[in-house]
Amino acid sequence: MMIWKTSLYNLKSKPLYTILNIFSLSLSMLLLLGIRQLKISFEHQVAHNLGNIDLVIGAKGSPLQLVLSSVLHLDNPIGNILYEEAKKISKNPMVKTAVPISYGDHYKGYRIVGTTNDFMTLYDAKLERGQKVDNVLEVIIGSTVAAELQLDIGDTFLSSHGLTEHSIEVHAEKLTVVGILKPTRKVIDHLIITGLESIWDIHHHENEMMDEHKEHDHEEEHRKEFDTEGHEEKEITSLLVSFRNPVAFLNLPRKINEETNMQAALPKYELNKLYNYLSLGIDTIAVIAYLILMISVMTIFISLYKMVKERSFDLALLRTYGASNFQLIQMILFEGLIIVMIAFIIGVLVLKIGANVVFELLGQKDKVHMFVTLPFQEILQIGVVVVILIILTVLLAIIPIIKMNISTILNNEK
Amino acid sequence: MIQTSNLTFQYKKGEQILSFPNITLDKQESLLVLGKSGIGKTTFLHLLAGLLKPTGGKVLISDIDLCSLSHNQLDKFRGQQIGLVFQKKYAIQSLSLLDNLKMRLFLSKKSIKDTRIKLLLEQLDLNDCKNKRVQALSEGQLQRLSIAMAVIHRPQVILADEPTSSLDDENCKNVIELLKQQARETEANLIVITHDHRIKPYFQKSITL
Repeated sequence: MMIWKTSLYNLKSKPLYTILNIFSLSLSMLLLLGIRQLKISFEHQVAHNLGNIDLVIGAKGSPLQLVLSSVLHLDNPIGNILYEEAKKISKNPMVKTAVPISYGDHYKGYRIVGTTNDFMTLYDAKLERGQKVDNVLEVIIGSTVAAELQLDIGDTFLSSHGLTEHSIEVHAEKLTVVGILKPTRKVIDHLIITGLESIWDIHHHENEMMDEHKEHDHEEEHRKEFDTEGHEEKEITSLLVSFRNPVAFLNLPRKINEETNMQAALPKYELNKLYNYLSLGIDTIAVIAYLILMISVMTIFISLYKMVKERSFDLALLRTYGASNFQLIQMILFEGLIIVMIAFIIGVLVLKIGANVVFELLGQKDKVHMFVTLPFQEILQIGVVVVILIILTVLLAIIPIIKMNISTILNNEK
Repeated sequence: MIQTSNLTFQYKKGEQILSFPNITLDKQESLLVLGKSGIGKTTFLHLLAGLLKPTGGKVLISDIDLCSLSHNQLDKFRGQQIGLVFQKKYAIQSLSLLDNLKMRLFLSKKSIKDTRIKLLLEQLDLNDCKNKRVQALSEGQLQRLSIAMAVIHRPQVILADEPTSSLDDENCKNVIELLKQQARETEANLIVITHDHRIKPYFQKSITL
């Protein structure tokens, strides 16, 4: 206890050194943790949010955009495809499930996805309360949506057109919450799910209103969608497919790309491609982070070494009081560890708060789900590396103690 | 009880060998060791404190031969049985006066009650400044603190190295009297090593190196 106290007072007696040490170490920890966080978040997206989706089929365009928009619900959709055409693909024997989705609306920034009840099985999502969507204009909501918007079963709301919180065009139809999902830690937590018909209905009415206003040149897509009353060519945004058989990976995407005017994208492949672009940047930051860590370890070494040299008389004195070499080493080790602990806490806190603040500032609340909480194990790993480095540093810094000749030091200071 | 026999010390091979007279002190006896500067007074004191290992001869404190103790045993023995007073009144700079005393007790590994600290603070008139950091203490307070540090753990031997050389006559007298008083109370041997002849009258027994 006294040893701890002495270490603490030693640090307090040289605040500038202590602050410098803590600052540089927490900066490097922040970077190390941040990079780990980025990597893990990304890997989590690939591993979890894909659910059981092996293939996405959508309008021709950028395959990456198709994956981002239809699987991770991050980007805007490319365009629509005909439901009839998509249905043909679901009949392929290699296809296990094919889930159509259609979207383009939101409520307070949370996307509304029109789909079938199979959508939930893609993410292994289960209802916590309420029931599945049976009728038009009924929705079930993800756990995050329920918590953030404080919606409960029976609540109604009006959806808005577009995908961001700031679009103000509001639809006339009221949607009713009939079910709430259990948390899955996947993207479905952030979605509002309804039947395909609800989406079609909402836009159908809108179309009629537009016709009345004779704004024919506007919203061409919608007009095409419902070009003749009664005989609508229904459209969806994309089709999420899972395979029955791995061979399908080889055949089906090529077949679709060549023979239809739709495109097929493999989410895993697209996201890995994206990850490879990013990882160059991530690796660079990682190198910088390790450099900063080295520098801060060196700063800590210099200040501990200096303290050992400057306080050699104090240390010799402690020896005359009966302190063993081991107790002196403990004292300096504690000083190092106190710095590490404070720096670590600062690093973790800044990372947690920082991530939220950044997303808040960007006004992209719905994208916080990109950020997975860093698992404790990862934090521990970095902690262990740093602690080992500090222990090595301390061992170097205490060499003068081991060599110390108490008698000479006491004589010299006289 | 403290006893030395045929004590010699050599700093480096080939250098002059210092040899020291045999001393024998009974319980509670005090000794003044006089000698000019550079004659090896401090070396003698460090040999007695077990801070240096003698080249030849023996140091016995309460019938324990310091040379026979291992490194760790010596640390422990020093912490429990020896109190050192230095010319410069040092204590651990970053700690308060009170924490210094607590630290000294902690390192001695002796179970001594906290009332001992209280008593000593009063005896040495240090109660008012017990929470001050060592750096903030006055000369006189530092002087008394260094005596307190040497006796708090009730050692068998109190060794003082030039405790009075920078003091005026009155303070010189005060310090010696405090040392003698504390030695009496803890029933310890007091050995003062100095070139300061002013304190000769306070000691019955003295040797010159």
